[in-house]
Order: sequence, then structure tokens, then C-alpha cells
Amino acid sequence: MTTARISQLLFLFLFLVLFVQTEYRGVDEIDAAVNAFFRADPLVLVSYLLATKSWTWLLLPALLLVVATLLLGRFFCGWICPLGTILDLVTTSISKNRPIAALKGNLKYWLLLPILSASMINLNLSGLLDPIAILLRALTFMLYPLIGWAAREGWVGLYHLIGERRDIITPAYKLLHGHLLPFRETIYPLAFLSAMVLLIIIVLERYEERNWCRNLCPLGTLLGWLGRFSLFSRLPKGLCGDCGKCRDLCPTGFDQDVLAREDCILCMECQLRCPHQRITFRPFVSIRDSGPLLPERRVLLGGLAAGLLLAVPSRFRLPEKQSRLLRPPSVRNEDAFLEKCVRCGECMKVCLTSALYPAAYQAGLEGIYTPVIISRLGYCEYNCTLCGQVCPTGAISALPVDAKRREVIGKAVIDKNHCLPFAKKIDCIVCEEHCPIPNKAIRSRVVELIDPDGRRRRIMEPYVVDDICNGCGICEYVCPLEAKAGIEVFAVKNREPIIDAIDGMAEKVRFEAGSGYQ
Amino acid sequence: MDRRSFLKAASAASILIPVIVKDVLAAKELPLVSVAEGTDYKAITKKAINAVGGMGRFVKAGDVVVVKPNMGWDRSTEFAANTHPLVVRAVVEECLAAGAKKVKVFDRTCNDARRCYVNSGIEGTLKGMKGVECKHIEQERFKKVVLNGKFLKEWELYDEALLADVYINVPVAKHHGLSKLTLGLKNIMGVMGGNRGYIHRSIDVALADINAHLKSQLTVIDATRILTAHGPQGGNIADVKILHKVIASTDIVAADAVATTLFGLKPSDIPVTVAAYRRGLGEMNLERIKLVRV
Repeated sequence: MTTARISQLLFLFLFLVLFVQTEYRGVDEIDAAVNAFFRADPLVLVSYLLATKSWTWLLLPALLLVVATLLLGRFFCGWICPLGTILDLVTTSISKNRPIAALKGNLKYWLLLPILSASMINLNLSGLLDPIAILLRALTFMLYPLIGWAAREGWVGLYHLIGERRDIITPAYKLLHGHLLPFRETIYPLAFLSAMVLLIIIVLERYEERNWCRNLCPLGTLLGWLGRFSLFSRLPKGLCGDCGKCRDLCPTGFDQDVLAREDCILCMECQLRCPHQRITFRPFVSIRDSGPLLPERRVLLGGLAAGLLLAVPSRFRLPEKQSRLLRPPSVRNEDAFLEKCVRCGECMKVCLTSALYPAAYQAGLEGIYTPVIISRLGYCEYNCTLCGQVCPTGAISALPVDAKRREVIGKAVIDKNHCLPFAKKIDCIVCEEHCPIPNKAIRSRVVELIDPDGRRRRIMEPYVVDDICNGCGICEYVCPLEAKAGIEVFAVKNREPIIDAIDGMAEKVRFEAGSGYQ
Repeated sequence: MDRRSFLKAASAASILIPVIVKDVLAAKELPLVSVAEGTDYKAITKKAINAVGGMGRFVKAGDVVVVKPNMGWDRSTEFAANTHPLVVRAVVEECLAAGAKKVKVFDRTCNDARRCYVNSGIEGTLKGMKGVECKHIEQERFKKVVLNGKFLKEWELYDEALLADVYINVPVAKHHGLSKLTLGLKNIMGVMGGNRGYIHRSIDVALADINAHLKSQLTVIDATRILTAHGPQGGNIADVKILHKVIASTDIVAADAVATTLFGLKPSDIPVTVAAYRRGLGEMNLERIKLVRV
């Protein structure tokens, strides 16, 4: 096994370990999460810089990788990238047809350049085609829940089979469930699409080894471009007249007789397997070796223009969807959020109650895969700060717990046509019971009324104290009505943090609202 | 004794004896509630249990015991939203000392189960104890049970609670928006499956229905600190009152009734208590409860 392959396997293992670690496992802080891969992702860095026009120390590792690529070349793809490793592992068992001509040439620039130019006008699409994001989404939305589901079904099936005797192996299952399996098996929208994208990338291996990497991947294209300035070169630069075995050995760079420097992923296969021991990688500056520095002007301008043309029309959103577009806590401004979010899906993976889901249509085309809270399916746990901790770009801020508790997601609104005390004149207030705000953002007043049977009754009617409601959504989540809840969280523009313990203010609200209080 | 005096005596006795016997029986039946006070919570818990006959009265060697605390909320101990871990620990230790084969501790939580188990301190305090199990609720273990109650005809209950030899109810005493207080009778909701919020529309009758089916052999109420407002999860330390008390009784209604007085309320103020009393699940009249302070 080559050194590069060992490194690949180690990083793939690291990726999977961090992926599994990106979950609440009994402590409030997650020390290491899979976000490390995005923080070291130059495509994420470049699109972040272009979109926000500002710097963040969160992405320092990515800057270091840029520097390393400038010095060494496109080694990331051959040594680190977990998607590349998976392709290397499966490609040997996929028989090859002829390469697809349509993928050759400038297609990769037609993918990379629009991403960059769209970023410039604040639409950060890098995550859609970033290889690590593609892999992570397929894992998060499809494979991991599927594995969890299968394990759970097996475990439950065992109970139906042998009942209490299952307890004997409970410790083993608890260990597995506590450390490896997802806590709950969430079903995500876009799961199928996410898996399909990964599947297509694997199917592309039928035509050519590392087909995605050499012809499409925008991260690889970016790294390849940076790698042209590398201080290392392979010698000889091309195929030897008497051998030419390199063409077969090389996974990415020998479409022509001369090695395309921007495509060389430094896997060193050629050096190791050269029958004549002729090949060396050594410091040798030669930018002129490989084609022009920039793609031809037609592609450059067209690619950039495509991004601009893409960004504006994709902004269309259905207004009625916006009223329920709830973002993770600490997201106060939609535009600023879209500039930073890489749609990696980590916040959704880590979300304690499975409140976060990838937007399929709610946020328009521009918002696809960005996280939205669906309060009826899960709520924002009051004392949890995990999504902010794992967000690689700070699109969701990493806040201390007392600050996060005050962040406003939306405001709860009671629907009197459904809410039981109003609609059916019966007691309920499950929402008040669950409201986590210490002074209760949902309260109730006792009203005397005549119920539908003509009897005089005293009923507790809930009401929301807007000033201290943070929109966590537990009220909507626990509302005992079937399907539609009697209380729902709606998005608000002003997401200034609530001031907790504003009892004085709340008292004022109580008296202003009129009579009927106890 | 001549015939006349015998008849006199006999007739007098026939009138008096049933009264006397009834009185004697009633006196015997006066439910016992112990209230232990002190700052060593494990010690007062054990004292309270001993004052109602000791754990050996309920737990026999080889028994499987369920200890059901309230750990429904992601709140740390001082907020009085969950049963104090030391109280739980003491009850569990007493069960083991009485020869229990296995002690199971669980609750169907309201917040995320992992966070509740950890932050209540209960999972931590039981860690490493032999014969003690502190597992999350598993959905498949809920069994549909025919209750034939006044409000609930049937409901899903947790089979580990149903199958246990002894069921010990260990609630924390706290305020509740709808039922005014949540004590032993309401703590039973932690073994209910399904859409529990449904029972809020008639919570007093529904809880009597469930408690009539699943009897708590022993109720130990944690009043080391009580939550006086913004219950059942609180979150404001100003709402917590420290009392250093633990209450124990075999009569769940009586235990609840005594705990009610800690809040300055009367048992008759709490509809859940009243409904259970009317159902014959226990005694709520304080003058008919024998209170032992230890």
C-alpha cells in the first residue's frame, strides 16, 4: 500500500469518526466534529470571502490548505478527500467504458466559475457541489438514518420475538446505540436527491477513473488551479517514448501525452510502479508547463456571467412559505445567513430533537439544502447549543447557552380555531406546561364561559407573551391535536434577543390585555 | 348471670360491638404518612421509608422493582423540576438492601431523553450500581391496557412498570399550571405512552383511571426543595423553596395530601387528589391521616 493510500484511509476513517461524533453523546460541548473538513475546505473559504467580503478565523485551516496547495500541488485530492478515497476504493470493481467526451474540456470551469461569481452577489452555492458536502449530505440524509433504522427494526423485532429475554444483550445494544448509531432515525426531505448525487458520481466511474474529480469537482478544479504554482514537479513531464505505462497508472492527469499539472493529485502511483524507476517529484518551478493560466476568455466571462444570471432569478420565493421559514437560533438576517451557509447538513445531523431539515422549496431555489426548523417535527431544545458549535462557517453562531436561550427563532401564535380551550371549550394548556422560558412565554387565564352543552365552566385559556417568546417551538411540537397544531411558530423580521426575566414587562402586558385574569 | 341481665348485656353488646370494632378497624386503617426532615437527603429518605415500615415490607428477595422518579425536564437539580438524585439513590439502595434482584429507573421525558437523564443527575448517581438499570424508554415496550376508567377506556402503559413486582413512585413536589401541583398521582404520567397531552382535557379523572390500574406500593415524595411557581419545569431559582423534607407513604393520595400542605394549599384544592380520593385510591382528609415526623 502506498503512503498516499494509507493517508487516504486514515482521513476517511477520521471523517467517519467525526461524522459519528457530530451528535449529542452526553456532554454539552462537541470537541471535534466533521466541520473540521469544511473549515479546511478552500472552496468554502473562497466562496465565503467573496460572499461576505469579510474574514473569519473559523476558516483559517482552509487558508493553510491553500498555502500548502500553492507549495505542494493538488495533494488534497489524492491524500485527504474522503469522496476521492471512496471513489478509489470502488473504482477497481467497476469496469470501464470509454470516457465521456462531453465532460472533458471546460465543463469544470462552467461549474466552478458560476459558483464564484454568484458568491460575489451574496449567493453562496459552493456547498451544492462541494465534494465533502455531497458526501456528508448523502450520509446524513440517507445512509445514516437508514443504518439506524435497520438496527432499530432489528432490535425491536428481537423484542417481539423473544420479549424480555432481549434484556440480556441490552448492554451491547446500548453501547452500539450510544456510540455509533444515530439516536433517532430521522427521515429527511431531499434524502433521495442527496443519495442520487453521490450515486451518480460513483456511476461516473464506469467511464473513467476519478471521473468526477478530474472533470467536474469545483473544489478539485480550484485546487488544481492553485496547484499550478506548486514548487514540485513530476519529472519527466510527459510519457516516455518507450513505455507509456503512466497513462494507465495515473488516475487523473494523463489525458494527453504530457501530464496536466492541474490534474495531478500527487498519488505517486507512477513513481512507485514505474518499471524503469525513472520518475521523481522534486522542487522545480515551471508554471508554463501546463496550459494557459486562465481558461479561455469565452469560458471565463461566460462562467462568471452564468453565476450572475443564476443568482438573481433563483431568489424567487413564495411569500406564504416565508411566514413559516424558521432558521436555526442566532440567525437574525436571512441574507447574511445565505452568504455563509454551505448547506453541509451538519446542523441537521447534530440537532438534538431533529428539528432541522434541509429546505426543499421553502426558501426558494437559492435556499435549497439550507436548514429550516419544522416545529411540528422537532423543537429547539432550550439548553442546547450544538448547531452553532458544528457550523463550519459561523452561519449559525456558536453562542454560550445563556445567550442562545435568548435568540429568537420566531414567535408562537395561537390559532383559536384549533386550540382546544378556544375551539372546544375544554382544558388543555400542554403548551404552557412545556414552555421552557423561566417566567413562561405562554401563560393562561381562567375564563368563565358556557360550554357547547350549556353548562357554566371555568376554562384556562393560553396566551403568548411575545416579549419573552423565543420561538423554540416546543409548544407547537407537543400540542396534543392531531396533525395541525393549535399553536404555531411564525417567522418574524425583528429577531432581537428576548430579555429573560422581564417579569415587570410581562405584568404590564397582562393588565393591558383586559379583564378575565385570575 | 341471670337471664334478664344476659339479655341486657347481649343487646347492648350487639349495638356497641360493631361500633367498637369499626372504630378499632378504622383506627388501624388510618394511613400512615411519614415526613423526614434534614439536610442529609439520603439519610432522611431512608428514615422516611423506615417510618412507614421499611423497604423490607414491600421488596422481597429476588424482586424486580421499578423506581419511577420524575426526570422529565432538562433542568439541573437545584431548579426542583426533577426528583433529587440523592433521594432516588437512597430509594434504590434500600431496594437493593431488601434483596431486590433488579431495580429499574426510567421516565418518559418531556425534553430530549438524553439531556434529561444526564442533567437531572439521576443517570450519573446510579452509574456503576450493580443490579440497577437506568435505560431510556423504548417505544416497543408500551402495551395497550384496558383500563375501563371513567375517562380513559384504554391506554398504552410501559410494560416494565406493569411487570414489576414492586412499583415505587418517587416524584418531586412542584407547581403545575393545569393541575396546580404535580405529586405522586401525576408522576404516573411517566409510564404512559401515546399522546399524553390528550388527557389534559380531563386530567383529574384520567389520572385516577391510570392510578387505579397501576398501584404505587410506595410513594416517596421529594420535598427537599419544591418548585412553587412556573412549573412543572421552572428554571428560575427564585421559584424554588428549600424545605429539606422527604415524605413517604403506602397511600399515594395521603402522601400527595400531606405534600400539598407544603405549598400552603388544602388537598381539596387539588382536583387530581380529590378525584383519586373519590375513586377510593386513598385518603385525602388530613385529620384521617396519621402523620409521623422523623
